[in-house]
Amino acid sequence: MSRINKNVVLALLTLTSSAFLLFQLYYYKHYLSTKNGAGLSKSKGSRIGFDSTQWRAVKKFIMLTSNQNVPVFLIDPLILELINKNFEQVKNTSQGSISQCTFFCVPRDFTAFALQYHLWKNEEGWFRIAENMGFQCLKIESKDPRLDGIDSLSGTEIPLHYICKLATHAIHLVVFHERSGNYLWHGHLRLKEHIDRKFVPFRKLQFGRYPGAFDRPELQQVTVDGLEVLIPKDPMHFVEEVPHSRFIECRYKEARAFFQQYLDDNTVEAMAFRKSAKELLQLAAKTLNKLGVPFWLSSGTCLGWYRQCNIIPYSKDVDLGIFIQDYKSDIILAFQDAGLPLKHKFGKVEDSLELSFQGKDDVKLDIFFFYEETDHMWNGGTQAKTGKKFKYLFPKFTLCWTEFVDMKVHVPCETLEYIEANYGKTWKIPVKTWDWKRSPPNVQPNGIWPISEWDEVVRY
Amino acid sequence: MDDWKPSPLIKPFGARKKRSWYLTWKYKLTNQRALRRFCQTGAVVFLLVTVIVNIKLILDTRRAISEANEDPEPEQDYDEVLGRLEPPRRRGSGPRRVLDVEVYSSRSKVYVAVDGTTVLEDEAREQGRGIHVIVLNQATGHVMAKRVFDTYSPHEDEAMVLFLNMVAPGRVLICTVKDEGSFHLKDTAKALLRSLGSQAGPALGWRDTWAFVGRKGGPVLGEKHSKSPALSSWGDPVLLKTDVPLSSAEEAECHWADTELNRRRRRFCSKVEGYGSVCSCKDPTPIEFSPDPLPDNKVLNVPVAVIAGNRPNYLYRMLRSLLSAQGVSPQMITVFIDGYYEEPMDVVALFGLRGIQHTPISIKNARVSQHYKASLTATFNLFPEAKFAVVLEEDLDIAVDFFSFLSQSIHLLEEDDSLYCISAWNDQGYEHTAEDPALLYRVETMPGLGWVLRRSLYKEELEPKWPTPEKLWDWDMWMRMPEQRRGRECIIPDVSRSYHFGIVGLNMNGYFHEAYFKKHKFNTVPGVQLRNVDSLKKEAYEVEVHRLLSEAEVLDHSKNPCEDSFLPDTEGHTYVAFIRMEKDDDFTTWTQLAKCLHIWDLDVRGNHRGLWRLFRKKNHFLVSEEATLSHPNFPGATPKRGGSPRSCRTDMRPPPGPCGAGPGSESNLFIDCPEGLENRPNLEGLDFFLGWKAALRVGLALTQETAVPNPWTGPTGAHMLTQTHSDTLRHWTRPPLSILFVQLSKAG
Repeated sequence: MSRINKNVVLALLTLTSSAFLLFQLYYYKHYLSTKNGAGLSKSKGSRIGFDSTQWRAVKKFIMLTSNQNVPVFLIDPLILELINKNFEQVKNTSQGSISQCTFFCVPRDFTAFALQYHLWKNEEGWFRIAENMGFQCLKIESKDPRLDGIDSLSGTEIPLHYICKLATHAIHLVVFHERSGNYLWHGHLRLKEHIDRKFVPFRKLQFGRYPGAFDRPELQQVTVDGLEVLIPKDPMHFVEEVPHSRFIECRYKEARAFFQQYLDDNTVEAMAFRKSAKELLQLAAKTLNKLGVPFWLSSGTCLGWYRQCNIIPYSKDVDLGIFIQDYKSDIILAFQDAGLPLKHKFGKVEDSLELSFQGKDDVKLDIFFFYEETDHMWNGGTQAKTGKKFKYLFPKFTLCWTEFVDMKVHVPCETLEYIEANYGKTWKIPVKTWDWKRSPPNVQPNGIWPISEWDEVVRY
Repeated sequence: MDDWKPSPLIKPFGARKKRSWYLTWKYKLTNQRALRRFCQTGAVVFLLVTVIVNIKLILDTRRAISEANEDPEPEQDYDEVLGRLEPPRRRGSGPRRVLDVEVYSSRSKVYVAVDGTTVLEDEAREQGRGIHVIVLNQATGHVMAKRVFDTYSPHEDEAMVLFLNMVAPGRVLICTVKDEGSFHLKDTAKALLRSLGSQAGPALGWRDTWAFVGRKGGPVLGEKHSKSPALSSWGDPVLLKTDVPLSSAEEAECHWADTELNRRRRRFCSKVEGYGSVCSCKDPTPIEFSPDPLPDNKVLNVPVAVIAGNRPNYLYRMLRSLLSAQGVSPQMITVFIDGYYEEPMDVVALFGLRGIQHTPISIKNARVSQHYKASLTATFNLFPEAKFAVVLEEDLDIAVDFFSFLSQSIHLLEEDDSLYCISAWNDQGYEHTAEDPALLYRVETMPGLGWVLRRSLYKEELEPKWPTPEKLWDWDMWMRMPEQRRGRECIIPDVSRSYHFGIVGLNMNGYFHEAYFKKHKFNTVPGVQLRNVDSLKKEAYEVEVHRLLSEAEVLDHSKNPCEDSFLPDTEGHTYVAFIRMEKDDDFTTWTQLAKCLHIWDLDVRGNHRGLWRLFRKKNHFLVSEEATLSHPNFPGATPKRGGSPRSCRTDMRPPPGPCGAGPGSESNLFIDCPEGLENRPNLEGLDFFLGWKAALRVGLALTQETAVPNPWTGPTGAHMLTQTHSDTLRHWTRPPLSILFVQLSKAG
């Protein structure tokens, strides 16, 4: 009897165990494919080519957008990079001889597209049709930052992101909005409370961790894996922009509060200064952008942006910062050609370089070059009379985009730390008399230029 | 039998021979030791694999969950805070199916409370007289409309009948009288109240108090009434307390097909009342119009800003006409609402448009000014690529060919720097003075009321120096000031493409509207082809004007220009009349003429270098200043200022006889408009109704006209104008006005 029992038990155990195992495997596969389709479809993709879930999702999505006239273009960094590497293939396959799915079948969680919102005409029906086609879609909306200004407006929310899932692959549609300053902006992907956090692995999204700003790309039509898509004309330029695209808004709410406390200066002189400072800044930005030299708003101009979202009317100059490694010898010439003659030059490339250009209407453009140390950054100053050197220390910072007087410009992302270093904790209080040698809390004496070098380092 | 012996295992199987082949096979296997071993180890391996897979699964799930949660964590808080801010829904929002309603009516105060919440309270003096009407949603108890009809005054009862008829059946109606509501309550209105089941309403008498709660088309839920004992006294205050049973939500809604449009409609109709057939269950009026597209539409991508306040019914009418205009692109329309009013937003949402609310800044005119600034700034921010913006107001009807008109003319704004704007409104285009929808003019004044603004003008000139909130200026008056306009002109059509229907507003009332806006001509012909658009450019227009003047027949100036017979009963002729202007900005004669022509006379509008162009009796009628006397038929033309661009004199042919007066006797060649002939009801009386804006207009006109009153020193002609500047000044400079006057002069 015992023998029978033993065998029966063993058989039963084996049966249940294998049934159990099958169930587990099935569940595991199902689970994996919904969570990150990559793992399993990897081998499938390369083997079966055009049968991969990614390709099918992209194909369906492109069908949808071309039927519904949704103006989209491809911005997926991974695929753009691949396209850039094999650009010939993309061009040649337009005749129709596609042998292998090389781009859209690459394993990944998402394919990112950008939606040009201002060209979009039929917003309403689109969502429903996408869902009818089998997509599961998520729409993320938020308030329109373009309404946020010195006047407080609030309006209908605008779409920022769409995530549409087809089986295991998701299309991330980033809504690009036009902003003044000739650039495209996308919003922060912020999940509201009721949204299913497991809808897709949000963490792996390439866009949306922060709001972003991009130059408006020129587009071109290409055929990728048999699908007609629009991509930026210079795909690599776009891909390079992605990691540095973080955008921060001006703090209009605080600026409004500031103007309630300290009335805005609306005299004719203030308006005239603002106008010429704005023009000077625009000219400087144009010149530096042409040279490919990145710069940011520094000192008083940066304070004006941060504190009151405008140019401080009594600041009398425009201040920019540039990292010394971006220095190019033709900067001076380029400014001269743009109608801004060099006014003075202090220091040298190795130490404490500072350039000053004369703009129209007595407005001066000051460019400070920043030097990077292991734990801080600094820029230098020179007193013309005595040849004394000064050093202004700043905590390390990175650069973010922002919008200032209808322009897309850089500011330090860690603006508060930057400003507090330069102006102290009381930066909120307007001060009209400022001694650049003594007032800043971050100033340090830095010795004196040797007399022999004066000719080179003090050009006044 | 022995064969069956070897194993005891056989027994059970043998006993059940029906068992499947599988078990037999298995039995055979069990006989082999090695195989048995194999099975055992196999099972163990299976088990182990299961366990491993299980563990991996668990680990994986945990990781995925933690990943998904990690990222959006900080924002979650933010959203929750927002959620909490939302006000709790109506008090006692549980399964309560009855509302308790309190209605109070008395001489000086009315109030209505629903479930303890006051939804109407009016105890202001000298305000809110008449019948207050509130409409509640029968399913939710929400207030859907609130109106007051001053039925002491004429015609208000008609508005009430109109409104009550629009209310959907089943809604809860609440009526209460403040002060007096019967004097002009006519039979139609009384009959309607009777049909609602009211006993006292139809019999409402002088200074009675009355409170009424009923369901439209259903039973009366409560009514109280108190008769006034004598002519000089009021009825006793009445307080009506009643329970209103709520019905189910399905009953309160219509059964429209489930489309995107109807979803919008349903949302709208469950919130507000008083919009007529848009909410009727059977055959509701459409909310999507799809007018014909315009071929070659140049304004398809021009943003349209609709400036609105809290006049949702106006906005509704306005948006209907706007969305019906040919060539409209709804996604370019933005409605800017001055204040956080709900109902205008509901109207905007009904049409699926973009609505933006603006926190009001300042008061009165300055508030409007600030709202304009915020709206224009936002418009150019929202459409950073747009070179132009169309600016509309909520109390305008938009002509069917509005966009066609703009599409044909907008290139002028791009090509001609001497232009300030293109406007759809002709200040002087009344029913009796406008005729030709294909004709355009150039004028020195900025008409507004549906106009196109150039981005560069706004961003570079106007925005930086826009009047600040503490300045109580009208934005349009400010824009008309020479510092802003800087000699530039606007293009207008002869027949306006917009119609100003608003009779309630900051600067508007019924009398003013009747006098100056009601009889305005409005184009209703679709697809009008504008004539000779390029002749509106700076130089070309001078040539055109000169041609017109030289071809025009001079009118008999000995006749009274205020009389109908001043112009012959012809058709299609061009006539010219001359007026005396001592200086560029001397408009005294014109104002007198405008008054008797019954056109805009509160300040100078519609002029181009001393020339006004109108139509009279289907004839083109030019009014030109004396200095333009280059007319070939005009004898002895002596321009005041030699070389002035105004005097577009060319050849000076001798006059061809018939024109009455010979050289030297210029007297009857100037219009004389003796005072009090056929003037508008005198200004003194009108002034009472004008409000601040009109006064300001005149004030400003004066700053333009005469900085220093200029005593009339005209030639000795017998027909010269008798009213002098000092008269005008005296007339207008009352204390409050002079203050404004000074302010404006300073600004200038």
